This record gives sequence, C-alpha cells and structure tokens, in this order.
Amino acid sequence: MTEIVNESSLSSARERLAARQAELLNALLANGPAPTGFDEQRLGVERRALLSKRRGIVRMLGPEVADELGDRFRLLFDAYAAEYPRRAGSRAREDAAAFEEWCRACGELSEKRKARWKFWQSN
Amino acid sequence: MAGIRDLGVGIGWRSEIDLTVERLPGVDFVEVVAENLHIGHLPESVTLLLERGVPVLPHAVSLSLGSADQVDLRRVEHLGAVAEAVGAPMVSDHVCFVRAGGLDSGHLMPVPRTRDALDVLVANVRLAQRNLPVPLALENVAALLEWPDGELSEGQFLAELVERTDCWLLVDVANLYANARNIGTDPQRFLDEIPLERLAYVHVAGGEQHGDIYHDTHAHAVLPEVLEVLDELCSRVAPPGVLLERDDNYPSDTEIAGELAAIRAVVDKHRD
Repeated sequence: MTEIVNESSLSSARERLAARQAELLNALLANGPAPTGFDEQRLGVERRALLSKRRGIVRMLGPEVADELGDRFRLLFDAYAAEYPRRAGSRAREDAAAFEEWCRACGELSEKRKARWKFWQSN
Repeated sequence: MAGIRDLGVGIGWRSEIDLTVERLPGVDFVEVVAENLHIGHLPESVTLLLERGVPVLPHAVSLSLGSADQVDLRRVEHLGAVAEAVGAPMVSDHVCFVRAGGLDSGHLMPVPRTRDALDVLVANVRLAQRNLPVPLALENVAALLEWPDGELSEGQFLAELVERTDCWLLVDVANLYANARNIGTDPQRFLDEIPLERLAYVHVAGGEQHGDIYHDTHAHAVLPEVLEVLDELCSRVAPPGVLLERDDNYPSDTEIAGELAAIRAVVDKHRD
C-alpha cells in the first residue's frame, strides 16, 4: 500500500469525475449534448448498444408484452426509453413494469393483462 | 501462485443452463452473478455443486467502483454475504461505473484513465475491501468508446490500482480482444504492464463483429482470436483459473463442452 490521497483533494477529484461521468451518461441515455472530445460516431455506437441491452432485458422480463406488441415493440420501447432513462437505484423489473404501463397509457396494449403484473411485482 | 489456489477451468453458472453446468464433465469451478442470488435461498443447483466440492465464486456487476460517488455499502454487504453463503475464497467486480448523475447505464462503462479517476477508484476499492470478508479481484471491461484525455494506458492504470489497493486482477481476454478491435488497445502491452503475479483468474467469452465494431455479447461462439489472446497470456503465466462466460442464446451441451475443451487445450499446452 502506498500513499493516501488527502481527503480534500479526493473530494475535488470526485466532483470533477462526477461532472464528467454525468455528462457522458446524460448524452448516452437522455439525449444530452455530446461531451467535448468524444468521437461522435462512437457515442452513437455506445448509445445504441446500451439501448439494445436495456430493450433485451425488458423483453426477457416481459415476453407477453413484447409478443402482444409484435413489430411495434422495438419502436415503442425506444420511444419510452428516450423519455424515461433508467434512474440510478431502479430495478430492471420496475423498468419492464413501467414500460408496460406506458404502453397501456398510450393505448398500445389491451387492458385485461394488468392484474398479472401486480402479481408479478409483488414477488 | 501466492494466495490463490488452482481453480482449473470453469463456467459462469446461470439458471438457464443449471442442468448443463451440473452434468458437463470438466467443470472445475463456477461463478455466480452475486446480484441474482438471495441469501438463504440459494438455487438448488448451486447447492448441489457446493456439495460436490466445486468452488463457487461470486461475481458482481453493480458495485460501480469507478463511480465518482461513494460506494453503496449495501451492495458490498450483499456481495460479502453471498461469498460467505457459498464459502468463496474470493469475489470480483469490474473496473467501471454504471451510475452517474442519477442515471443507470445498465452496462459496464469504462472510467477515464486519469489520475482523478484512479484516486477515486482506489478510495472506493479500499472501502469495499474493508467491508468484504474475502479478497476482491477486479476485471478489465470491454469499451466501445474512449474517454478523450487518458493519462495512463489501461495496463498502467490497472497496475497502479493493484499497487495501491492490493486487489487481485480478473483478466478478461475477450475484453482485451474487443478493446484491441474497437479502441486500439495493444493486448501484448497490456499483458506486459499488469502485475501477472496478482492474476486471480481469466474470463473467456464469445462475441460478434458488426461492421467495424466487435460486440462482446456473451451470446455467440468464442472466436479463435480470443483464444489466441488466452494463449499469449498463458505463455507468460499459468493462470490459476480460466472461466467461460455465456449469458444468452445458449447452445447445446456439446457446443459448450467443446468451448471448455478448447480453453483447457490452450491452458494445458503451456503446462509442462
């Protein structure tokens, strides 16, 4: 073990890093402006990769919703995801449930399956 | 190898392939994703493997040790509790961040290779280590983009992390390959720069090329080029263990057994 970084310099490092990390995630997940110095094309690749991963998890957790939506699933999910980036501390299951609610509110899903989600969420 | 027992060749245990993992020959150890396990309700299959004496190593994906924020000690505590529940000799997570500015990326993001990021990572790792019952190993991630102002190479960054925290390294050779393809990291230089005596074990996984980008999917076959990186690593050090990660699009038992055999062949080639 070597030197201990002193507390005040560590806390400044945390502040600078926090701003940079927040700026990057905001660009990737919430349509924020591209942070300086990043390759724009790679930001696009990363944005699509993260969206695809999130979409795949929601599809896996709610296959019935994805099945009912069929070809509309991808487009709807991507619109939902742009509007609601995943909040720190939220769970994937909550994301899947929120997407279903969102679709229902948009009139994209039939009403009758709602009770099943309640059962699912109580677990 | 100081402090790490020989683990052999293993596979990531996933509930979707629990029976496969149980019946495959030559599974010397397994990893479980710590966030997917509940203390007091271990999956039957994991209990069975433990009864057979197969080491089970918890692997975490959510500590976000590279985040600017303080470590969430509840997550560390859960990881430690899983380690105790399975009697693990070691736990692991990644050199990455997943949470920032109130958002969750949902995937392992690279940290900038700056002094600031390293100081914060070191502080976070030390706090995690103080709250864990067993040693912590940290894994290199696959990056699709580069932070603009890196002050250190990835190997230098990890070497200094080890020096300052005494952590172990979990080297993912598929991630090394991905970074070579996608952001131009040199795997040879990486292996030259990291302290190989602190190697805990190695990850191998499959992926897919899409245009000019290699995606580390864990859902496709392991490329021969990834085994070449493993071969390069094994020519420098006998890794205490090598583990195959498969997370989706599960193939037949035969295909998985073939991939494990191919890994073992690379490791054995250097053991004489």
